[in-house]
Amino acid sequence: MISRSRASVRRAAGVTGVCRLAGVFLALLLLSGCSMMLPQTTALQDSKPQQLPDLAKLDVPFVPQDENMCGPAALKMALAGAKVDATLDELKRQVFLPGRQGSLQAEMLAAPRRHGLVSYQLAPRLEDVLREVAAGTPVIVLQDYGVWPVSVWHYAVVIGYDYARHEVILHSGLKAGMRMPIAVLEYLWKQSDYWAMVAEPPQRVPATASEGAYVDAVAAVERTGDLAAARAAYGAALERWPGDVKASVGLANALHGLGDLKGAEAALRPAVERHPDSAILLNNLAQTLSDLNRNAEALTVIDRATALGGDFADAVQDTRRHIQERLRAAAAR
Amino acid sequence: MKTTLMRLIGRLLIVSMLALPFQTVQAGMIGTDQVASSATAQAQRATLARTIDRPDVASQLQALGVDANAAKERVAAMTDAEVQSLANNLSTMPAGANSTAWGWAIVIALVIWAWYSYK
Repeated sequence: MISRSRASVRRAAGVTGVCRLAGVFLALLLLSGCSMMLPQTTALQDSKPQQLPDLAKLDVPFVPQDENMCGPAALKMALAGAKVDATLDELKRQVFLPGRQGSLQAEMLAAPRRHGLVSYQLAPRLEDVLREVAAGTPVIVLQDYGVWPVSVWHYAVVIGYDYARHEVILHSGLKAGMRMPIAVLEYLWKQSDYWAMVAEPPQRVPATASEGAYVDAVAAVERTGDLAAARAAYGAALERWPGDVKASVGLANALHGLGDLKGAEAALRPAVERHPDSAILLNNLAQTLSDLNRNAEALTVIDRATALGGDFADAVQDTRRHIQERLRAAAAR
Repeated sequence: MKTTLMRLIGRLLIVSMLALPFQTVQAGMIGTDQVASSATAQAQRATLARTIDRPDVASQLQALGVDANAAKERVAAMTDAEVQSLANNLSTMPAGANSTAWGWAIVIALVIWAWYSYK
């Protein structure tokens, strides 16, 4: 008897008192028919998402946060999940905003790009968070510990869950591997409109990624000038969604920027075949061929783009003029 | 003196010769951002319609205590939409910091608890 109560005391120490109180509060809300309060938890309990493993716990080293530094600490853990080692000081410099004594979401998304990773903001679904964790990716969530009208924002990292016990496991603040009822997570998470992000190596598309949003996330990496990472990530995107025009354009642009013109051509050819009415693909293929000194071939391709007209007619016109100049220069030589 | 000048001019020429072909290679390619993705076609157009002022956002970060170089680098890693979301909202957007407001949660939980027990 004594040993049993001791065991339960030990367990209670693991689950913080506040968590339990909040859990009671939430259980009451649920019992009183307020499932509207926590729609996702209710839905998740009603039916288990297909093929979701019962349990997951990632081996992500815990990084305790300094005062107000949950942003950098959460990022360091997410980056470690992607096998990237960054120092806390470096991450503070990249996301901490002294005037706000905290870190903003946009900056949390921007920082991993500076470490060769692709930041992806998850769809606002509890199920997606669990799926990412099950796939091996720690998820940063933005929670609000305040009570209306005061907001107290906090980033925590979801590193595991136990579906049968309706619990998630988080690295949060000074607590490593904290267990929290899923209902409490939803309650704290809801105020941020269910904001969650992952940072993935460019070769790996997040488990729950949607086509358009992921390709945009890679375009954001290309924009920073990390063309090698962009090339790898566009390649991975095309493996998942072979027909994506933007990913094909991006892959070719990254290769072109890296000086691999043959590679750019190889990326554009199948895309042009698949989307013969894309002026952008035709224009960039023509430009690439011209840069490869195959101007006669380039001219036939750009003529197809000219015939299409549309939003990019001016750019196509410029490319055409440029190719003709090169042809004339070659003839004069 | 003369040779120094000549050497400088020579160097400048070499640099410009190295730089120019690279620029002409990049010219003519339509940028990836110009392709409207299925997910964000409309949002993207809306963003493009407004002007994106990166230096302005960088100086707003600076005003909140980030040093000039770091601010510039931070803005450089953002998308147009992210820059746009920050512009003029820096002092009101959620800034994740601490989870030390447990007191609030306890008070509310107790109030609700009491309310239910006495009902």
